[in-house]
Amino acid sequence: MLELIGLTRRFGAVTAVEHVSLSVPNGQMVGIIGRSGAGKSTMLRLINRLIDPTAGRIVFEGRDISLLKGRALRDWRTDCAMIFQQFNLVQRLDVLTNVLMGRLNHRPTLSSLFKMFSAEERALAIRTLERFDLAGAALQRADTLSGGQQQRVAIARALMQKPRIILADEPIASLDPRNGKVVMDALRTINREDGLTVLCNLHTLDIARHYCDRIVGMRAGRVVFDGVPAQLTASMVRDIYGMSEEELDHAETVTSTAVGAVGSPLAA
Amino acid sequence: MVAAGGSDAFALFEARYRQLQREKALTTGCGVVLFAVAFVASAVVGEVDPARLMTGVPSILDYAYRTLPEISARQPLADIAEWFWGIDIWLMLMLDSVLIGFVGTLAGAGAAVALCFHASANLTPNRLSFWLARRGFEFARTVPELVFALIFVFAFGPGPFAGVLAIAIHSAGALGKLFAEVNENVDPRPIEALAAAGAGWSETMRFAVLPQVLPNFLSYSLLRFEINVRAASVLGIVGAGGIGEELYLVVRRFLYSDISAIVLLILITVSLIDIVCERLRHGLIEAGPARATR
Amino acid sequence: MIEAGELAAIQAAHPRVFRRTAAERGRLALAWACFGGVLALGLWRVLPTWDAFVAGLAKLGFLVGFMIPPAHGGHLGQMLHGLGETLAMAFLGTLFAAVVAVPLGFLGARNVLPVRPLHFGLRRLFDGLRGIDSLIWAIVFVAAVGMGPFAGILALAVPDAGTLAKLFAEAIENIEKRQVEGIEAAGANGLERARFGILPQVLPVMLSHVLYFFESNTRSASILGVVGAGGIGLQLAERIRLDDWQEVAFIILLILVTVAVIDFLSGWLRRRVIAS
Repeated sequence: MLELIGLTRRFGAVTAVEHVSLSVPNGQMVGIIGRSGAGKSTMLRLINRLIDPTAGRIVFEGRDISLLKGRALRDWRTDCAMIFQQFNLVQRLDVLTNVLMGRLNHRPTLSSLFKMFSAEERALAIRTLERFDLAGAALQRADTLSGGQQQRVAIARALMQKPRIILADEPIASLDPRNGKVVMDALRTINREDGLTVLCNLHTLDIARHYCDRIVGMRAGRVVFDGVPAQLTASMVRDIYGMSEEELDHAETVTSTAVGAVGSPLAA
Repeated sequence: MVAAGGSDAFALFEARYRQLQREKALTTGCGVVLFAVAFVASAVVGEVDPARLMTGVPSILDYAYRTLPEISARQPLADIAEWFWGIDIWLMLMLDSVLIGFVGTLAGAGAAVALCFHASANLTPNRLSFWLARRGFEFARTVPELVFALIFVFAFGPGPFAGVLAIAIHSAGALGKLFAEVNENVDPRPIEALAAAGAGWSETMRFAVLPQVLPNFLSYSLLRFEINVRAASVLGIVGAGGIGEELYLVVRRFLYSDISAIVLLILITVSLIDIVCERLRHGLIEAGPARATR
Repeated sequence: MIEAGELAAIQAAHPRVFRRTAAERGRLALAWACFGGVLALGLWRVLPTWDAFVAGLAKLGFLVGFMIPPAHGGHLGQMLHGLGETLAMAFLGTLFAAVVAVPLGFLGARNVLPVRPLHFGLRRLFDGLRGIDSLIWAIVFVAAVGMGPFAGILALAVPDAGTLAKLFAEAIENIEKRQVEGIEAAGANGLERARFGILPQVLPVMLSHVLYFFESNTRSASILGVVGAGGIGLQLAERIRLDDWQEVAFIILLILVTVAVIDFLSGWLRRRVIAS
């Protein structure tokens, strides 16, 4: 169980996330929708602790994780893996190494620095890549892959962390519809087969309705809708986006970008 | 009415124009006066006067003429062999200079790599190490190599080790600044991804930053190696090993043809290394390292 | 994490993930052997014995201790004179180099004098001049014209004339042709063409280069005195010989401050030159 209690984050005068309270049972697939700038991205980054909350608490399995530091913070980050809109792979490294990055917090630093990964870890990486039909590309450089393939490599990297939660920040916003479907299928697979909780920011309502058990709508940093897809009526959509679903399909404004995703991720 | 307004506008323009001209003339005038003062002062302090120049130029030409070897058309090869009579010693000393440059560059680059992540505003783990690394690099590159060499020769005694240390420290400063600048332009997304995966700071630097910057680091280090071979060939003048010591010796003993032979040897070696390094650098920029993990 | 049987199966299916091919291993071993060989040779030639190293380190520690606090020991006037000499050398050395480099640069530019052999010969001359370090020129000029700042000025000017001429020639080769054609169409001769068609275009670039060289020459000039070519370097070398470490530290600080001030001023001027 992941609980957010009165979670708030301000950037100067701007309040990106305002008093959000949610509880997510384990194994749920949650879609978070809302206009760009509604605070979706900030919320995921708050949960991973890439940015610190101004107020409120994050509790996982009864443990307060909003004040963790150092080693304990890195362990928490390993527990909740992140997937990014731009994949955030190391382009110059091969796919295998990118996937092995997910093991960094599980192993001694010195041997990591010399890239001494064990045969078992390599095999695990290959087995994870095989789930997404990418084992054959293991020795290719990441920048030789298509966007959809790169995002699946990023998912494999996330799985290597052995996480409890997956936080996906607009995982398909940079992909064409076909690749978007492949990536969403992959996320659903790990949700169903591995029983991982998935929190996923989405900008397409169809996708959210189709893939998610539960939908959370955000507007101006607040949660304004929380329910199953069937409850998401036309008036609810208008409430979240300030426009109807038809208008929404034509508007470009909904394509989310990580607003206010500043702050140093290194301050661990 | 219209005419009056027009002439007013014209007068205003005239006045503005004249004022601008005056300001420009003033700046130029100040510049010229400052330059003239600096020139005269420098000439006085630098002991340059036309008479000195007049006697100086012929003596330089005479000196240059004396260093020319005697090569006759009858037996040119034998004469060249005679000119380069000390080639075996000189080659050994030249090799020493190149090796001093190599080891010094390597050590300096190593130190620069180790510290440059601290000296980058976007990567540094804390403000104190940022400040220390920045100031350290600044000090190391502002103090001339030769000053370090003088001090190290005094401490460690004459020999190539003092030269290596001097070059290493100076290179660490010069490269560290460049490396930090490269670091500040990296793509931040992989860094965020690794931090979000629970990787520590050193692991993040190693895997998210280093692969992006390594080609640039290597390219700058090669450039530095070229510069350092030049530097190493003169450090011997203060006793820090290599060919410089021999050159200083033959200059002070007025062994004219030896001077030209050694200078030519240095010139050829430096040019060869420049050419090889340039090739390598072009290769680096085109390919970039595509290292697989195995 | 993974059982032995599955591990073996994956290893069999993806051998290159676990082990490099023989050819790759061979190439890698060769590369490391070359690098290691050169490094070993280098270390063998340069490393002192362990005892000498420890003794030197101890001595270095003492020296740094003796440097604190830096003091001028009543020789401030003499030191400032040396510093003035250093600045004068840098100024005049750069100036002479620039004055000589302007005509050389024009002659060395392909679009000014389209005579291939001349162009080639001049470029090699420039390379030769700048290939030799100013310190080598300094010992040669001290021998030729005697000790003092004059030798230093020449030592700075000669290699810089080569480098500046090359940079000027490149700047001239990159100019816009239309402006020159305009001047030619007005009936200008060769010299007028250079003065009114080319010079206005390249002057800011040239000035910027010259200022940059002034900065770097301030550093170079501070050490030429070590071989007797004037400036603060002579005093520095003397103090080191005399074991006067407080004054050594003081002179190093003086050099650092001077270099920083010159860098600042010249950087400010360069930005103004480029802006206008």
